Amino acid sequence: MNFTKITRVAGREFASTAMTKGFIIGALVVPAVMAALIPLIAILSAAAQPSADKGTIYVLDHSAEVFNEIESRLSPEEVRSRWEDRAKRAANFAKGMMGQSGGDQIENAMNSIKTPEFRVIPTAPDADIEQIKTEIRNQLTSKATLDDPLEKVLAVIEIDIDASKKVNDAEGYGSYQAFFRPKLNEETVSEIESGVRWSIREKRYENAGLDRDQIKELASISQRESKEITEEGERNESSGIATFLIPIASLVLLIVATMTGGQYLLTTTIEEKSNRVVEVLLSACSPMELMTGKIIGQMGVGLSLLIVYNSLGIVALIAFNRLDMISGQTIILFFVFFLLAYFMLASMMAAIGSAVSDMREAQSLMTPVMLIMMIPYFFFMPVIRAPNSMLSTVTSFIPPISPFIMIMRVSSTDPPPAWQIAAVIFVNLIGVFIFLWLAAKIFRVGLLMYGKPPNLRTLIKWIKMA
Amino acid sequence: MNAVRKTFGAKVAVEGIDLVVPQGALYGFIGPNGAGKTTTIRMIMSILFPDSGELSVLGKKSAVESKDRIGYLPEERGVYKKMKVAAFLVYMGRLKGLDSRGLKPKVMEWLERVELADVAKKKCEELSKGMQQKVQFIASVLHDPDLIILDEPFSGLDPVNMRLLRDLINEQHAAGKTVIFSTHVMQQAESICDHIIMIHEGKKVLDDTLGDIRSRFDPRVIHVDTVGADDQSDLISSVAGVSSVRQSEGIYEVKVLDSMDQQQAMQNILASLPVSRIEIKRPTLEDVFIEIVTGGSPSGDHEDVRAKLLAGSKETQEIGS
Repeated sequence: MNFTKITRVAGREFASTAMTKGFIIGALVVPAVMAALIPLIAILSAAAQPSADKGTIYVLDHSAEVFNEIESRLSPEEVRSRWEDRAKRAANFAKGMMGQSGGDQIENAMNSIKTPEFRVIPTAPDADIEQIKTEIRNQLTSKATLDDPLEKVLAVIEIDIDASKKVNDAEGYGSYQAFFRPKLNEETVSEIESGVRWSIREKRYENAGLDRDQIKELASISQRESKEITEEGERNESSGIATFLIPIASLVLLIVATMTGGQYLLTTTIEEKSNRVVEVLLSACSPMELMTGKIIGQMGVGLSLLIVYNSLGIVALIAFNRLDMISGQTIILFFVFFLLAYFMLASMMAAIGSAVSDMREAQSLMTPVMLIMMIPYFFFMPVIRAPNSMLSTVTSFIPPISPFIMIMRVSSTDPPPAWQIAAVIFVNLIGVFIFLWLAAKIFRVGLLMYGKPPNLRTLIKWIKMA
Repeated sequence: MNAVRKTFGAKVAVEGIDLVVPQGALYGFIGPNGAGKTTTIRMIMSILFPDSGELSVLGKKSAVESKDRIGYLPEERGVYKKMKVAAFLVYMGRLKGLDSRGLKPKVMEWLERVELADVAKKKCEELSKGMQQKVQFIASVLHDPDLIILDEPFSGLDPVNMRLLRDLINEQHAAGKTVIFSTHVMQQAESICDHIIMIHEGKKVLDDTLGDIRSRFDPRVIHVDTVGADDQSDLISSVAGVSSVRQSEGIYEVKVLDSMDQQQAMQNILASLPVSRIEIKRPTLEDVFIEIVTGGSPSGDHEDVRAKLLAGSKETQEIGS
C-alpha cells in the first residue's frame, strides 16, 4: 500500500464530489439559507400583522348587572395595559428559554401585534338582537367608509338573565352568547371573550359574597421546576421535547452523513467502471489503494456534511441557550460512530459499485443495504423510550446497525455506561474490519468484470476466488 | 514470464506462456481475438495474477512494485467524463508518482505534440474517440516510463493519427524504452516491430524476429503473370518442380515442390512460357497468422478463416477477451 497514491485518489474523490456546485448548494447553502430565513420569517410575519381592530361592542345585558364590569374591563386603557403586561411576561419566559436575544425578539413580536380598541355600548334591555346583527350585515355589504372607525360594529354579546346569579334555585348559572363580525383578529376575539367571561365571573363572586383576591390566592399554586434524582445527585426533569429531539436529530444526521458518502462512493465507482477508466487507474495503483482512497475521499464528504450540520445545531442550541442538552463527549462519540457506520456502509457500497456495470444493475443489490439502513428507524421509539432496555442493549451490539442505535442511546438523557460504549466500539471495529476485508475481495475481482450483474452467489464465489 | 497459466472458471485463458522481452526492444504482440493477449498483458501489469508460473517485470517480482516505471494503455480505456483534459492528465501523472511541480507544463507540452493543446480546458466527454485515445496515450507515457505496454493502441484512429502515434512509438523506442504493443492488424505490427510474439488459444505459437519469421514461413509460392488472356494453368503445372497452381485475380500462385529450389523453379517456368512478371511471394504476417490459426492447412481459404475469426471475437466481454 502506497500512502501517497491513496491520498491522491482520496483527494480527487473528495474534490470531484464535494467541490461541485451541486454539492455545495445542496449540502451547505440550503441549510445556511434556511437559517437565514428564520429571522426573516419572523420579520415578515410581524410586518404582516393586520391592523388593529377598532370598533363597537354591543352588549344586550338581560342580567342587568354585568355590563359595567365589561365596559371597564374592555376600556381602551385596561386593554392596553394588559397587552403590555402580557408582552413583558412572554419576553421574560422566552429569556429563560432562549436567552436575551430570544426574549427581545419575542417582546418585539408581541408588541407588534396591535392593541385593539373597543367602545362598549349597552343596548336597551328589550332591544332586538336581530336588528344589531342586521346592522353588522349592512356594514359588511356597504362599500362606504365609516366616518369614525369606532362605528364599526365588531360584536354583539347577549348575556343571559341568570348569567351571574341563580334564578329560582336553578341547578347552575346561565351563560352568554357572542356574535362576531367575520375576519376579526384572533387576539381581538379572545380579548372580548375573556373580558366577558371575566366580568361574569366577577359578578358571580360578588353575588356569592366571595372576595376575588382571596379566591385567586386560594386557587394559585406557584410552579417549581421538577427534578429527577440521579445516581450522582439531581437534575432538571427532562422535558418531553428534549428527550426526543436530540436523539432523533442525531440519528437522522448520522444516517444522512453516512448515506451521502456511501451513495457518492457507489456512483463514482460505477462511473469509473462504466467509463472504463478503471483499468487506466489500475495501471497506476493497486485495487486496494484505489478502494481505500475512494473510501477515505468520500469519508471526507460525509465528515464535511457532519461538521456543517453539527455546527449549525450547536449554534442553534447556543441561540436557544440550551447547550446543556448535549455534551462534548456526545459530539466526540458522534464522530466515532459516524466513522464506524460509514466504513461498514462504504464497504458495501464499494463492493456493489465494483460488481455492477451500471446504476440500474446496482438497484437489486442495493435493496438489502437500504433495508439495513431502515432498521434504526424501526427501533427509534423503543430505544428512545427505554435507552437501557434489553432490546436497546442487544441491538447496539449488532453491526452495522449498532452505531445508529448507539447514537440514540448516548444522546438520550439516560446514556449507557462507559464500558458498554467501549465494548460496542470494539465490536464495531471488528465489524469494520470484516466488511472492509470482504469488500476488498469483491472489489478486486469485480472491477474488471463486465457482463451480467452478479447475484449473491457469484459474489461469494468471488470472495473465495480472490 | 515462465510457464504462466491463468484460468477463468473452466476456461483456460493463458496456458503456460514463457516469454522474455529484452530491455529496449520493440515487441509486437499479435493473436486472434480471444487468444489471451489482454489477459497476458494484465498479468504483466499485475492487474490479474497468474494461477501458476512466475513473472518478473523490470527486475521485480511483480509490476506492483514498479508500476510507476511502466506506462500502460489498456484496451478497455476510459477517461473521467466530467474532468478537464489537462486536469485528468495531471491527476494521472500525480497518481504515477510525479511531482506536481512542473507537471502542468509537461502536460501542455505533450498536448501540443499530439495537436490537442486547444482542448486542454475542455471536458473529456467533449472529445472525439480518437482525441480521447491520444489523451490516454499521453497518460501512459507522461511519467517517462521504462516499459510501455500498449494494448491495441491503433484501434479507432484515422491514418493521420495512426502515423502520428507510430512516430511517437518509434521515438520512445529510439529513446531506449522497451515497448510492447498488441494488435490484431498485422500490417501495423509488420511496419513497426522488429520482434513478433503471437499467441493463439492461450499458447505462445510464435516468438521471433520479423526476418526469421519470414524465412521460416516461406510459403514457397511464386507469383506468375503470363502474357495473353488464355488459361495457362495446365501448362504451368506441367513444369518440373511445380506442385500446384491456383489462379487468383489474373495471377497464378504457383506452389513449388519442397524438393525443388525456388530459383530453379522460377527459371523452369520462364523457360516454358512467356511471362510478363514473375516473383517469389514474400510471406506477410497475415499469412503466417492465418496459417497458424488454421493449423497449417494450405493457405487457401483466407476469407473463410477471417470471417470465422471476426465472428467468434466479441461473444464475451469478460476478462481474458
